[in-house]
Parts: sequence; C-alpha cells; structure tokens
Amino acid sequence: MKILALNGSFRKNGNTEILLKQALMGAESEGAKVEILRLTDYKIGPCRGCGLCLFRENVCQVQDDDVRAIFSKVAECDGMILGAPCYFLELTAVIKQLIDRCWILGHQMGKVKKPAAVVVPYATRGWIPYVSIQSNLLLTLMGLSKIDELTICTQGISEVVLDPEAMDLAYHLGKETAVAVREKDFTYKGEVGICPSCHDRLVRILIDNETIECPTCGVRGNLIIRNGKITVKFEEKAWADNRFRPDVTYNHFTYHIAPSKDYFLRTKEERKIKTQKYREYLKT
Amino acid sequence: MTRYLAKLRYFPGDPLEEIREKDLKSFEREYGVNISYGKVENREMKGGLLMEKTLDKRIEDISQEVITLSADQEDNFANCIIALYKKYRCPRTAYSLMGSNDAGQRIAKKLMNLHGGW
Repeated sequence: MKILALNGSFRKNGNTEILLKQALMGAESEGAKVEILRLTDYKIGPCRGCGLCLFRENVCQVQDDDVRAIFSKVAECDGMILGAPCYFLELTAVIKQLIDRCWILGHQMGKVKKPAAVVVPYATRGWIPYVSIQSNLLLTLMGLSKIDELTICTQGISEVVLDPEAMDLAYHLGKETAVAVREKDFTYKGEVGICPSCHDRLVRILIDNETIECPTCGVRGNLIIRNGKITVKFEEKAWADNRFRPDVTYNHFTYHIAPSKDYFLRTKEERKIKTQKYREYLKT
Repeated sequence: MTRYLAKLRYFPGDPLEEIREKDLKSFEREYGVNISYGKVENREMKGGLLMEKTLDKRIEDISQEVITLSADQEDNFANCIIALYKKYRCPRTAYSLMGSNDAGQRIAKKLMNLHGGW
C-alpha cells in the first residue's frame, strides 16, 4: 500500500509539510509505504485552454513540464493526502494551476478509485471559505474521494509543532487514509457540512432568490429557517444534477465541450475578420 | 415588422425537467407565440451509461431537444422565453442558440443572464 502526500506549500519544513509528514507517519504505522512531493519543486505550466486534450484524444500540448510525472505518481499510489496552506481565503496558486491542468483527466470525474484526505493550515479563523471547493475539485478530477479534511489554525513557520492536538489529528488523518485503502472504505469521516455530497458549507443563492445551490456540486435545494436554525433541503431528484456523477460529467464533456469544435470551425472566417483589429492593437 | 425566432438547444441533462409537447402548447397559447419541438436521439447504452460520440459531428446531428419559438411581438416573445427558462432553465452552451435569427438571439441571450436559472 502506497500513500502519496502532495504538498501545495513552497515553504520547506513549514506547517503544511510538517502536518503532511506527521500524517505520513500515521499511514506508515498502518503499514503504508509513503512518499511526499512538494508541488513547487516541479514545473507546472498553465493550461493553454486549447482543448486539444479533448479534441485530439487525450494529448496535452504542454509537454515541457512535470505535470505528467505528477499524474503518474498519483496513478501509482493507493491513497493520497493533499496539504496546502490557505493564505487568502483559498488554497495556494499551485493547486489551482494543477486543477486547470487536470482538464485532461476530466473524463474520469466521478469514477472514484482511491481515498484521499486533506490538511489545510491557515492563520486567521474565518479566512478560509473556499478551501474545500479547490480540494474537492482537484481530488475529484484525479479520481480520488475525500474521506476527511483537517483545517488547522496555526501561523508562523513550523509553529504547528507547538499544537499537540493538531499533530495528533494529522497523525490520525494518515492512519485513517491507510485504513481506508486497506478496507476499501471511502466513507467520509469528517465534519458533515451542508452538502451531503461534498460536505462543504458554502451555498449560493440563485437569482430567483428562492433556490440555493451547492456551488461545488451544482445541486439545488431550498433554504429552511426554523426556530432560528438554518438548514438546506435538497430534493432527491436534484442529485441527478450533481456534476460529479459519472453521467453528468459524461454529458458535460460530450455535449457541452466536444461539439464546440464544430461551432469553432464554422465560425472560423467570421472570427478571422472580427479579431483582426485585436491582433493589431497593442501588439506584443 | 420584425420577426423574432429563437432555437433553444437543450442537450442531455440540460433541462431541469422533462420537456413535454403539451406544456409547450400551453405556453404557445398563453403567450401568443409559435412553438415547435424537435428531438434528436443518438445515444446508446454502454456500460451503464447512455453514450454517444459527438466529437467531429455536426451540432444539429447530436442528441438534443430543440424548442423553436417565434413571434412578431417582442414582449410576447420575451415573456415566453422567460417562462421557458424558469421551467427548464436556459440552455447551457455557447452554441445553444444556433439557428436563431439575430433579433431572437439578442433577446434570448440577454434573458439568459436575468432569468436563466443560474
């Protein structure tokens, strides 16, 4: 059994790395072989938005970086622990850069094969609203299912070692991941949240001011306030729209993305004429 | 007189509920517009999923439901579009109004942001 840790922090021996290593020690105690990659040590180029990974059968045009090597490492592992600090409301930029490059993996969304856990150190309470969206998306694109998530309030470099409870939680997170691999039990064990699918607490109010939506999953429901308590009711049929279901993902790539090639080719001449002035303007 | 014509192309999974011709007929009567409905179905069940190869196909030839709406009165046309968007939500792709005329497309597109169900 191999557990891979992906570190989305630039800092060597920073809180993220320490928490990930502590989690890996926990995984080792369950018999796992472990490895850690610091993503900022690798070259991760931006997605070029060319769509050729879809239009030319899974070939990414960005060949001069390390993303394929990272994907290979993820493919080789049996379970993963993702760590990234939250500096400004969301995870670090390298995580988003990797998410964009996962387009080529998008076809497999919803086909869960492995468990994963997440650890996010952050400095100020209340400044982490979007961290789960990013980790949920990255893990789902990579074919991983989140089984737990830790957010740890800690600030200066390596200060987390002063928090024995945080260190215990991280150790347990690693053990939990290894056990999930061994027992093939990908049940979510973290805080339940609002959305029963991604367990995030974010909701988006649609323009009708009646409907709410889990922004990650795209599932709609209604807000209920009773005795001062807010709950969200998701209708059973709404789960058919969960964007991470295999059929919804399949439809998205099959009907929203692939046919755009036909439209693109049909509008070629018109675009050529209309984009001329932009090609010339402020030319670089 | 301006003729407004929009084609709303819903691909599999796009409409929030089943598009039924009898519901479209009732919209037609209520808003004083002309509505026709067309369906293309090319999906086949494979491995538990309804699948279809859409890459390198003409958009008109892939599975979809098309609501074609036309009217001479802008208000009638716009109000019916709003009602359709509220019931089914608006179509989702950049090419989902393909085949509309300019006047119809302008209104249908503008209303997507206001009433599209997002």
